[in-house]
Amino acid sequence: MPAKDYAPIDQNWLEEAGSLWTTPWVDKPSDRVIVDPIILSHAASLFRKNAGYFYQNPDEAIRMVCHACELYDVTPVGHYLYADYWGQDYGAEIKVQTNSPPGITKRPIKTAEDVDNFEVLDVDELTKGPTLTTHYKALDTCKEEFPHMFAPITQLGGTMEVATNWAAIEDVFMWMITEPELVDKLCVKAGDHMVNACKATSERYGANVMITGSVIASGDLMDTEQIKRFGFQPVSRAVRKVLNSGAGPGIYYHLCGNHTDDFEMWKNAPMSPFTIVQIGYDGQNIFPTSKLVEHFGDRCTCFGTVDTKLIDRGTPAQVYEQAKEQVTAGKDSPRGFILGTACECPTNAPPVNVHALVKAAKDHGKYEKF
Amino acid sequence: MDIKITEELDNTLKDNGFKKEEIQELIANAEASGTKLKARDGNVTIAKGGSDNLTVYAVYSPDELLDVYAHKMNILGLTGGELNEIDYDDASEWACAKCGEIALERNVDMTYMGVTRPGPGLVCPKCDEFYVSDGVAKTLKTAEAILEEKRA
Ligand SMILES: [Zn+2]
Repeated sequence: MPAKDYAPIDQNWLEEAGSLWTTPWVDKPSDRVIVDPIILSHAASLFRKNAGYFYQNPDEAIRMVCHACELYDVTPVGHYLYADYWGQDYGAEIKVQTNSPPGITKRPIKTAEDVDNFEVLDVDELTKGPTLTTHYKALDTCKEEFPHMFAPITQLGGTMEVATNWAAIEDVFMWMITEPELVDKLCVKAGDHMVNACKATSERYGANVMITGSVIASGDLMDTEQIKRFGFQPVSRAVRKVLNSGAGPGIYYHLCGNHTDDFEMWKNAPMSPFTIVQIGYDGQNIFPTSKLVEHFGDRCTCFGTVDTKLIDRGTPAQVYEQAKEQVTAGKDSPRGFILGTACECPTNAPPVNVHALVKAAKDHGKYEKF
Repeated sequence: MDIKITEELDNTLKDNGFKKEEIQELIANAEASGTKLKARDGNVTIAKGGSDNLTVYAVYSPDELLDVYAHKMNILGLTGGELNEIDYDDASEWACAKCGEIALERNVDMTYMGVTRPGPGLVCPKCDEFYVSDGVAKTLKTAEAILEEKRA
């Protein structure tokens, strides 16, 4: 749908949502906690389009996301990103799928020798590459058509996510046992790549918000030492390099999956004045916001979560209950709080469930600290 | 210490509102007190000075001023309050000239316009002195601009 087919965004809503969104970052008083359900291809489902359509049409995708933000009354930011970033730039092949993000079918790294010979692309090469060309098409559209909803986001993932888009996950996991030094090398290269991608965004837009963290490197798939060695350490080095090269200031640590045994190390991950930490699960359960705030509340902005499985398959009452508990525990966190989902809002989640999440923030997320 | 300032750098100083005399004084103070960072590899020094509202850094070699940068965010101390063990290599390229310890890359709390948040600092673990790198100062400049806009 071209831009002209959308109803205009309500400017009063935008101003109000913008004010709620500002609070967790700069402590400017407002009424209540804002919700960020991490809307990506879910927006397409509201327009009766599928995920494949969303990922193939970045300009339309961003329009759909921005309008979904208004519909749900959530964080007014035009997100655009998808799962398999950075493979294609290095020769991976991607298969477009109807109902899920594009998947990598052929990866550039197959052998140990490939790891040694692998060269990270520089800023210029990345800027012209398929990932950032697509990504910037979405961001440029946002900047042009929804300037107040624009954020210069670079979707990085952590070093293990980048590494497993370059080499097959089963190979990387095998090397972790048989040749861990090879995975170290791979993660260093992934880190250098992340730095260059951030520089590209920062050069283009004057600032950069990096989404990084640890998704594959979670307690579901790796032990704590492995997470430290192949996730936390190379990610921290890369973030530090990004900040040392002036390509910040936003850092979003997205710790997806179970982080019971490793979450504490992230307390010392490099932070900037605009840092947010989100942790998905504590074992099988949603990571309690009370625990998140206890450990991170005096450090950075906290992102409390509601289980995406509930958003996808639960009842509105279940979503509301969990959201109420999380927002009550987090709303007055000293350095700001946002309520959201443990990961991306599922494509076909019932809209009433997203609404229930927002409703809980409206009913129970009123600030008391101001 | 007689330090050379090239015309080009002098112009940059003027453009950014720094006075040559201030910078010379800042360096003289650092040389006298020993409160400065020295590159672990090479002969470059970082001195700092200024006030709560503006921390100014001068980077210099024995005979020439190399760079000057500043930030408005005021460093309060270590994020989390104490220097606990961390799980990655936090040794920076700098060492404290006073005590010889390697400066550590650690988060420090910074405050500006009533907002306190963390930022990436260079910390002498012994002397409790805090610095930031020139690149981080660039990052902080963006952060300060956002705070100025949003807190206005
Ligand atoms: Zn010292």
